[in-house]
Amino acid sequence: MAKTEQGNGLDLRSSTEKLTDNGKGGSYGSDPEVNGSGIPGESQVDKYGFTGGAQQNSPAEEVPIEVLRQREAKWLEMLNSWDKWMAKKHKKVKERCQKGIPPSLRGRTWLYLTGGKVKREQNQGKFQELDDEPGDPKWVDIIERDLHRQFPFHEMFAARGGHGQQDLFRVLKAYTLHRPEEGYCQAQAPIAAVLLMHMPAEDAFWVLVQICEKYLPGYYSTGLEAIQLDGEILYALLRRVSPVAHRHLKKHKLEPILYMTEWFMCAFSRTLPWASVLRVWDMFLCEGVKILFKVGLVLLKSMLGSQEKLKACQGLYETMERLRAIQPQYMQETFLVHEIIELPVSEKDIEKEHFAQLRRWKETHGDLHCKSPPRMHGAKAIMAAEPPSRQELRQRPTIIVESPLAPKTAGEQAEDTKGRRKTVQENGKETLLQPQQTDNLNPLSDSSLLLNHTNIPGSKESLSSAEHDTYL
Amino acid sequence: MGSDEAYNFVFKVVLIGESGVGKSNLLSRFTKNEFNHDSRTTIGVEFSTRTVQLSGFTIKAQIWDTAGLERYRAITSAYYRGAVGALLVYDITKHLTYESVERWLKELYDHADPDIVVMLVGNKTDLESERSVPTEEAKDFAKKKDILFLETSALESTNVEAAFTNVLAEIHKKVRSKAVVRGSISAVSLNSHRAENAEEKKPCCRNI
Repeated sequence: MAKTEQGNGLDLRSSTEKLTDNGKGGSYGSDPEVNGSGIPGESQVDKYGFTGGAQQNSPAEEVPIEVLRQREAKWLEMLNSWDKWMAKKHKKVKERCQKGIPPSLRGRTWLYLTGGKVKREQNQGKFQELDDEPGDPKWVDIIERDLHRQFPFHEMFAARGGHGQQDLFRVLKAYTLHRPEEGYCQAQAPIAAVLLMHMPAEDAFWVLVQICEKYLPGYYSTGLEAIQLDGEILYALLRRVSPVAHRHLKKHKLEPILYMTEWFMCAFSRTLPWASVLRVWDMFLCEGVKILFKVGLVLLKSMLGSQEKLKACQGLYETMERLRAIQPQYMQETFLVHEIIELPVSEKDIEKEHFAQLRRWKETHGDLHCKSPPRMHGAKAIMAAEPPSRQELRQRPTIIVESPLAPKTAGEQAEDTKGRRKTVQENGKETLLQPQQTDNLNPLSDSSLLLNHTNIPGSKESLSSAEHDTYL
Repeated sequence: MGSDEAYNFVFKVVLIGESGVGKSNLLSRFTKNEFNHDSRTTIGVEFSTRTVQLSGFTIKAQIWDTAGLERYRAITSAYYRGAVGALLVYDITKHLTYESVERWLKELYDHADPDIVVMLVGNKTDLESERSVPTEEAKDFAKKKDILFLETSALESTNVEAAFTNVLAEIHKKVRSKAVVRGSISAVSLNSHRAENAEEKKPCCRNI
């Protein structure tokens, strides 16, 4: 995807500068001279699609290619019997999400984790229907104003009126039609944009629906009560995690809404370096909102957790500034993921605090105006609430290639294999190719090996205790 | 950074107005001399500071910016707290953004200090050909409401300095004519009776 090979996409522009810039990059973004490519009009793109290190590419983990391939094979197997894995081996799914989903399968896995896949199958034709409608002009106007303001330094969204912005419009507009009482909330745009970087519009739509309704219900609703409540929960949890930070925030009356709003509403997609965003989302979509709480707690503790660190924060404003310019080492992928996993905060802790804060809220604000359904704490909960059929989980590639090389293998499992591609004319339009699929195009012979592996019913892999050692 | 400079006052100024009128670019133009066609939608709170000299005093302007979208007004009370100035921004090419000014003023007076200095700002004068709000109309409205008025272009940098410095000067005038409560870092409050740290629950907040 990257136009130029550039290692980790490390750009020499210092990360701290980007931090205070809020990633805006001012006039730097598309200036070829600054990016050093020397080719007029062409800027360097990192492996995630960002121009010139715009999303703070701090050193990311390098997974060796053999490990990546091995993980991919295992993930393919998991996705092929998703319901079984989620029902019986969920712990393993969770662990694998914690290690990071292989980039080539991230989009698909997110679709499965969130139940978006099932929703899509259960509502075939629905997105098309919503897409065809003109939409409420009030929302259309506001959404249009925002299209060029999401990740403008990502190649997918850089071009005004380009495919990325078009798809963003389609997804957001569809949501306002799907939930007219909710309408559009600006923080949904970065969420949708991140999804679109990994999957086509229809899939992104259903995942957005799931995020808005199951993972973070009420976050984007009128009144923003849910986010305010979560702010209070975060603050309350902080007391146990870092009494020093908690005391400091209390002393300066720094209300949670002043620092955690963008963090939570955008699921940290505008705060962290991109590699970390992806790792956090892998865990968030698997385990639910507790991951967002953990990230917030880690950042607060890292920046404000000791007297030494507080020396730079004499007042409310200075503290806010610190929290807006988190030091890169605390956001770095390996550190962050490790801290998140280690932090002893559970769903139960969150629910308990939620209950307490809700009671407090009712005392001061009266009843909640927007009664959202209770949130689902991750993939397993979502699946348990609405168990899908096998049919709904079956892979249905929209692009199928009949290769002259491969023997004709009967059965759906053959169709499941990536590496088969032909452009399908649907409604006279070419279907969007998922970017990840292009990587696995060639080695059909390898995929038949994979097929043999996955064909084994009740795969050895799931029972053997050596399993723990074999997933790297 | 900030705490190393010597300054006499800290004035907290908030930017309010509909989504897309140019609040964030006014902020970046004034504090960093930057303008970005594709600046990100503001979610939560953004802020920046700039220190200016006014009548021999060193004034640190703490400018706050937030999302303009309707539903974000639910979280504004923390945002307004301690603000002594406000720039109420609309887009001269989008009449709708001007029509909601009345509502924004109400919002402002419901949450902020009653003595807050307000300036109505018609932004995007660089798009003169697409103007839909006549200057005189807005000027008259501002006069009627007893608030300041200027038209600006964050893109061309026209009147941006003037807008902020005028507001700061007005605040300064008010401040000097009253006894003030100020800590070395805390923002200035205009009401001498209200201590900076008091958190009075205004009755209107209960009616959200």
